[in-house]
Amino acid sequence: MEENVTIVPTGCCHDCGGRCVLRAHVKDGRIVRIETDNGQAPQIRACLRGRAYRQRVNHPDRLRHPLRRVGERGEGRFERISWDEALDTVAARLIEVKEACGNAAILFVGGSGNQGLLHGPVPVGRMLLHFGGFTREWGAPSFEGSLFASMATYGTIRTGNTRDDFLNSRLLILWGWNPANTIWDPETSFTLARVHERGIRIVAVDPRYTDSAATFADQWIPIRPGTDAAMLIAMAHVIITEGLHDKAFLEKHTVGFEAYEDYLMGRQDGVAKTPRWAEAITGVPAAAIADLAREYATSKPAALVAGWGPARAAMGEQYSRAANVLTALTGNIGIPGGYAAGFMRAYSSRETPSGTRGSGNPVEKGAPPRRNSLYRLRGGTNPNSARIHGTKLFDAMIKGRGGGYPADLKMAYVVASNLLNQRPNTRKGAVALKSLEFIVVHEQFMTPTAKWGDIVLPVNTFMERSDIAPPWLGSPYYIYLNKAVDSLPDSKSDLDICRELAPRLGLPAALFPATEDQALRQIASNRSDIEDYEAMQRDGVLKIPLAGPIVSFREQIEDPERHPFPTLSGKIEIRCDHLAEMNDPLVPAIPGYLGHEEAYDAPLARKYPLQLVTSHYKTRAHSTWHNVPWLREIEPHGVWIHPCDAEERSIRNGDMVDVFNDRGRMRIPAQVTERIMPGVVNVSQGAWYDPDEEGVDRGGCANVLTNDVHSPGGAHPLNSALVQVERSPQ
Amino acid sequence: MTQMGFYFDQTRCTGCYTCVVACKDWHDIPAGPVNWMRLQTLEEGKFPDLFVAFLAAPCYHCANPACMLACPVDAITKRPSDGLVCVDQDKCLGNKECKSLCLRACPWGAPQFGPEEGAKMQKCDFCRERLDEGKQTICVEACPMFALDAGPLEELRAKYGDVVQTAGFKYSDRFKPSVVFKPKQPVIKASAA
Repeated sequence: MEENVTIVPTGCCHDCGGRCVLRAHVKDGRIVRIETDNGQAPQIRACLRGRAYRQRVNHPDRLRHPLRRVGERGEGRFERISWDEALDTVAARLIEVKEACGNAAILFVGGSGNQGLLHGPVPVGRMLLHFGGFTREWGAPSFEGSLFASMATYGTIRTGNTRDDFLNSRLLILWGWNPANTIWDPETSFTLARVHERGIRIVAVDPRYTDSAATFADQWIPIRPGTDAAMLIAMAHVIITEGLHDKAFLEKHTVGFEAYEDYLMGRQDGVAKTPRWAEAITGVPAAAIADLAREYATSKPAALVAGWGPARAAMGEQYSRAANVLTALTGNIGIPGGYAAGFMRAYSSRETPSGTRGSGNPVEKGAPPRRNSLYRLRGGTNPNSARIHGTKLFDAMIKGRGGGYPADLKMAYVVASNLLNQRPNTRKGAVALKSLEFIVVHEQFMTPTAKWGDIVLPVNTFMERSDIAPPWLGSPYYIYLNKAVDSLPDSKSDLDICRELAPRLGLPAALFPATEDQALRQIASNRSDIEDYEAMQRDGVLKIPLAGPIVSFREQIEDPERHPFPTLSGKIEIRCDHLAEMNDPLVPAIPGYLGHEEAYDAPLARKYPLQLVTSHYKTRAHSTWHNVPWLREIEPHGVWIHPCDAEERSIRNGDMVDVFNDRGRMRIPAQVTERIMPGVVNVSQGAWYDPDEEGVDRGGCANVLTNDVHSPGGAHPLNSALVQVERSPQ
Repeated sequence: MTQMGFYFDQTRCTGCYTCVVACKDWHDIPAGPVNWMRLQTLEEGKFPDLFVAFLAAPCYHCANPACMLACPVDAITKRPSDGLVCVDQDKCLGNKECKSLCLRACPWGAPQFGPEEGAKMQKCDFCRERLDEGKQTICVEACPMFALDAGPLEELRAKYGDVVQTAGFKYSDRFKPSVVFKPKQPVIKASAA
């Protein structure tokens, strides 16, 4: 062991699907190496992102001083100012906007870039609430479609089983689910390998032959993006027509089976939802659909894991609803080895102890529920109509109340968010952000969004402060992030910034706990599963032993009288009255396959014949880690395109190509691969927007191409854009 | 003589590159062409009948190393105690003078040279320092899939068997790389559209 090295137990805390143990080797106040969990099983081993963190903390491009914009917004020209001047400016502008236009004119964007319970957006949100509130967005880009469907079907997002329960399954279907890249809690991929090694069959349904499909699956079924609901519906048709459904289960635990059966048989619309019907839509052979349906229905218990990706689509919640209902048709809910699909959380560590969704935000007080919201249910997305959907933030900045939005936005307070990069229609965002009077950004780097800021405040990283972080989706453990090194001299934590800003806004200093330790002890004391704070702090991790696998809805199935589902009917809702009440044909009460204006067969497809999907990539968590050299060199950012589509366009592997539609154009290398189905291209999301003088994005930010509308249930349509690809001009 | 070696379970590898990055971090290697641990992606077949596999490739510390035989100045030696293949950078002529003979000789591309002119050869050293402290190599401890192991080759053979070929890796009877595999076989039959 090298001399004078201290090992600090900490963890990784951005918005990947993990939350892993890191042990920072610190020498002379600098991180010199990083190790991960080599302790007690189950080990929570970090992936390449966590292992590369030294290069992020020590990056030469870290923001080192408060900055004030001197050029145009987006131009990236700034001057160094003092903290006093920066904070005075931010406070003055907040007060000015509040007095002139009211708190609703303040847009607070608290992003997912920091997942600790103490830092990141948490203290800023608290400060702004006490300042009189703010306008905020609703609809998570990652999962809103799945969440909406989970609530509509089950009344809860706690629908998953812990990973070890996969070992009890006889068949696993990984539908649009690629945990080898997206992690989905750290033990997932390793568990899938063990499942595979036991000879349990795994089928992957995905337009791409993902790393997960390549490693774990016995069969790959490529499917046209946006058509997943059609295949799931046809599987239901097969199961019912062949009498393979679990009639006793349906009778006892569900409502609305008959209505779905009517739809499947085409009793109203005259179209039977047969595998042949689905083949024309999905591109999956009818026989493969029927075979998978039979196999799923007869291999009980079987786990249908319905990934969030296919629900990030223009009609995304229909896929997710159809998947949930299929698990009910086969009675695979509440039993070991089964799986209810849904939102798929299994354990509670991610949930706030109070469990309420009232925000206490004065701006939202008294606002009625939003149209098409599940406002009668407890939990889930806050239905308050004072919120603006994430896909519509840019449009709302431009149009305000005149465009039907709840506020005339004058300023944005952006924390831990690369808003411009990570919401659909980036070029529209670049125009919209110019329309605001003031933008303040807390950041670690000069991201595309920070470039649009008027004041940019340099914040420290999680290696430079202490925090507690629950697992990403919710597994039985916590990470305690011990501060490993001092902050860069002129940077501060989000919490420290708020401590200094609050008095300038006339708020009491006592709004925030005096020390990190005090605050973290308070956070821990609210959680019954944290019994030994000192041990968690010492080890950097607290692993909570469970008696056995968690199986969601076990109680509801074993004893439905005493344990109703938290839906309005108390049962699994195949037909959902709450949806019926919306009286919107685009939110049917039963799952349905619905087209849209950028579907594969829409008229626009004649102009833009390729379907774009925007996957998550293994070297980034959204746009975080984009600028880390060890990760950048692993694979150049490019567009996946099938050889037949490439050949048609005279494109060879590695050629620079333009990917474009009416919303924007990017210029990146082509990666010609058999691993993507013909007619589909993939640009992984999160690369940084970098427009040249002609407005062509040289960075390859996927959202230059995505559409800023949302599905009726609130999904971001990040996998529903039509594009064309051509060789770039020389 | 003990001969140290590696085990790689190709069926588990998801191609995540964690071993590659952990190695660069531990050995403080900047971004650039030097990778003591490399990862290869193999893609075969036509849509939708594909075979994709990954190969994590360190130095296999051969019993009879090609690089050692090729080196004109005996800068490469085998450590008697454990058979590790070591390079003496003071003796190494650098890639300008000898035209990287070791790299050209090695069938698996293990010898690495930096981008600077006259760069000296460097490569996987089996985390000798960690070994001396009784620790595992950093790649083995990093792998989230527990697909790697390292130790005395005899023990690895006893534990994992003696398969020495796998997708993307051809064994050499002449050089005798110190490695055993759990190979990945193309078995997937997809449903064609």
